[in-house]
Amino acid sequence: MGARHRARGAHARQRPQSRPLRKAGAAYLFVLPALVAFGVFVFYPLVKTAYLGFFTSPPAPNLPSHYVGLTQYRAVLSSSDFLDSLWRTVQFVLYTVPAGIVLGIGLAMLANQRLAGIRIFRTIYSSTVATSAAVAAVIFFTLLNPQVGLLSYWLGRKGGSGVLQSSSLALPAVSVVTIWQNIGFTFILMSAALQSVPDDLLEAARVDGASSWLRFRSVTIPLLSPMIFFTTIVGVIGGFQSFGQIDILTQGGPNNHTLLLIYDLYQQAFKYDNTGYAAVLSVALFGILLLLTFMQFWFFQRRVFYAR
Amino acid sequence: MTSPPGNSTEIDSSRADFTPVTDKALAALPLERGAASSVALEGITKSYGPVTAIRDLTLEARAGEFLVLLGPSGCGKTTALRLVAGLEDPTSGTVRIGGRVVNDVDAKDRDVAMVFQSYALYPHLSVGRNIEFPLRARQVPASQRRQLVATVAESLRLEQLLDRKPAQLSGGQRQRVALARAIVRRPRAFLMDEPLSNLDAQLRVQMRAELVELHTRVDITILYVTHDQVEAMTMGQRIAILNEGVLQQLDTPEAVYRRPANAFVAGFVGSPPMNILRGRAVAEDDALWVAVPGGRVGLSPPLVRAVEDRALREVVVGLRPEALSLDPNGTIAAAVSLVELVGHEQHVALRLPGGQLVWIRMGSEAPRMRTGQDVRIAATGTVHLFDPQTGNLIEVGNE
Ligand SMILES: Nc1ncnc2c1ncn2[C@@H]1O[C@H](COP(=O)(O)OP(=O)(O)O)[C@@H](O)[C@H]1O
Ligand SMILES: [Mg+2]
Repeated sequence: MGARHRARGAHARQRPQSRPLRKAGAAYLFVLPALVAFGVFVFYPLVKTAYLGFFTSPPAPNLPSHYVGLTQYRAVLSSSDFLDSLWRTVQFVLYTVPAGIVLGIGLAMLANQRLAGIRIFRTIYSSTVATSAAVAAVIFFTLLNPQVGLLSYWLGRKGGSGVLQSSSLALPAVSVVTIWQNIGFTFILMSAALQSVPDDLLEAARVDGASSWLRFRSVTIPLLSPMIFFTTIVGVIGGFQSFGQIDILTQGGPNNHTLLLIYDLYQQAFKYDNTGYAAVLSVALFGILLLLTFMQFWFFQRRVFYAR
Repeated sequence: MTSPPGNSTEIDSSRADFTPVTDKALAALPLERGAASSVALEGITKSYGPVTAIRDLTLEARAGEFLVLLGPSGCGKTTALRLVAGLEDPTSGTVRIGGRVVNDVDAKDRDVAMVFQSYALYPHLSVGRNIEFPLRARQVPASQRRQLVATVAESLRLEQLLDRKPAQLSGGQRQRVALARAIVRRPRAFLMDEPLSNLDAQLRVQMRAELVELHTRVDITILYVTHDQVEAMTMGQRIAILNEGVLQQLDTPEAVYRRPANAFVAGFVGSPPMNILRGRAVAEDDALWVAVPGGRVGLSPPLVRAVEDRALREVVVGLRPEALSLDPNGTIAAAVSLVELVGHEQHVALRLPGGQLVWIRMGSEAPRMRTGQDVRIAATGTVHLFDPQTGNLIEVGNE
């Protein structure tokens, strides 16, 4: 018994060394194409951008840029322009993401009823997925037009100053457009998640004496939590990168009141040729999103329930 | 973010040391609310579009009774439970709990507890929180909740598992959690939908005993659904047998076995099932016989009278496997088709010349028979006489 046992033991000891190496080699081979693509299109531009932030752009084209090291980072990131646009962006995300998720869940709950003709509503609620930010913006641009816009009329602002021209209403208006545009996507995700909540759990809760609110809070929401987590992460990142609706509706105005970080970045880079400044903003945006995403993972970690 | 470690390989330790539910623990269950109540369906019909799941069903589980609803799958058992729970509304008819009509009472206010076939444990809540849920729903104060959960957990041997998630439990443990969640608030009635069908055979036998014992110790009404006639016979104080949404018989297990109301019940209750033979009434050798494929079956005087009174020419007789025996001088010829040795006895399937299978029951010490072997059998036990048109029982003739 001893000899056979030892022989098998030796064999078993050998395998964990050779096998993972061979396996790892194959694995790296498979990962390589994606790695190359990411390297060329993501990692290299990222490093290059960070590097560009060390140079101030020349006051006129064709003049050499100056290497200034971290000075430009320090100057830009502590400037009130940057802090203002960051704060506006945070406001924008706070306006759009929670409201979008609440509305998405609400509509999904409504459309989850067993009613005749409910498919029509499902189609309507999902329809904004098929519209681009540009289309949504153009629709609302017309609706909010102070001369001919229906919404302006309903808001009692017909003929007066437009909503998009108001320093206090422009950002909320852009937020509403964004919520509207995202609702279809959130609705579809929440509907799918809702359908995967087993009926018998809700029935068990009902027989257990739970009110519809308690059933929603204690059964539905926990089972939706992975999807809520996902849409929050995606929504925050998307919010920080919202561009189309700003460009079409307000171009950052009036008086910079809708100048979000990404739009500022765009203008610096492509309107003012201020590449160094824009590079610093890019790196800042990247860092902020990275940090926020980590924070969200940390926050949701103990609150999300995964079925498996 | 990662899933909890699986415990699927862990042995269900509770299986080995079966300790009965303690009196002390159950006596400590307070909550004056919801004393055991009667549950009644009166003239209930339930249709889903063109499908009628339940047809004019009237039955009552008395307060404190253990009533089993038995029937093949699709006969409407689950629907009946859901009607009592309030998860479905009857197309017509009345549902009563404790004598009170509850048709318009929402499920959450009916104060019954249901154990689902799937157990329906809340997957995101720990075992303790699962058991606690009905108390939370009824706004029982936290201190009392903790005490009740602890008591019930002890009585069902779940103390060690209170912090686990349902996914980390074995089937038997999940079943007990579902039971604990149902019992923790002393509902008016327990509705159980095939609660043991997901368990392995050994555990099923154990839980069967535990449930019966629970019922004898605690004053609760149980409406228990199963398709397993052994479960029904061993657990129920009375059995209601359903077929295609229609109540066939409601009686004690003994009565259902000895005097099945019709050929369906006779064939459904008992294993192997009762042999139902169709034949002609013939007068031979100065007696009345039933001519069946392969021979004839004798009738006792009460059955002869019943056949003569009704002037029956076609006759349906039922013989339990124990009412037939091998006999070289038997009146029926058959060939051995299949022999099942089930420990203490043998079940032998015989094929009659017409092709019909007939089961007989024999002791395990009897010599094993070869398949294909020609034998003769005799009707030595009780013969049941059924109406050839309706299938209803006419008379039971004792030898
Ligand atoms: N929600 C439903 N919609 C349509 N038909 C149903 C529904 N629920 C049950 N049925 C039908 O009613 C009959 C009885 O079902 P059920 O009560 O689940 O039977 P059992 O529990 O005895 O197996 C079946 O024919 C089934 O197809
Ligand atoms: Mg069923």
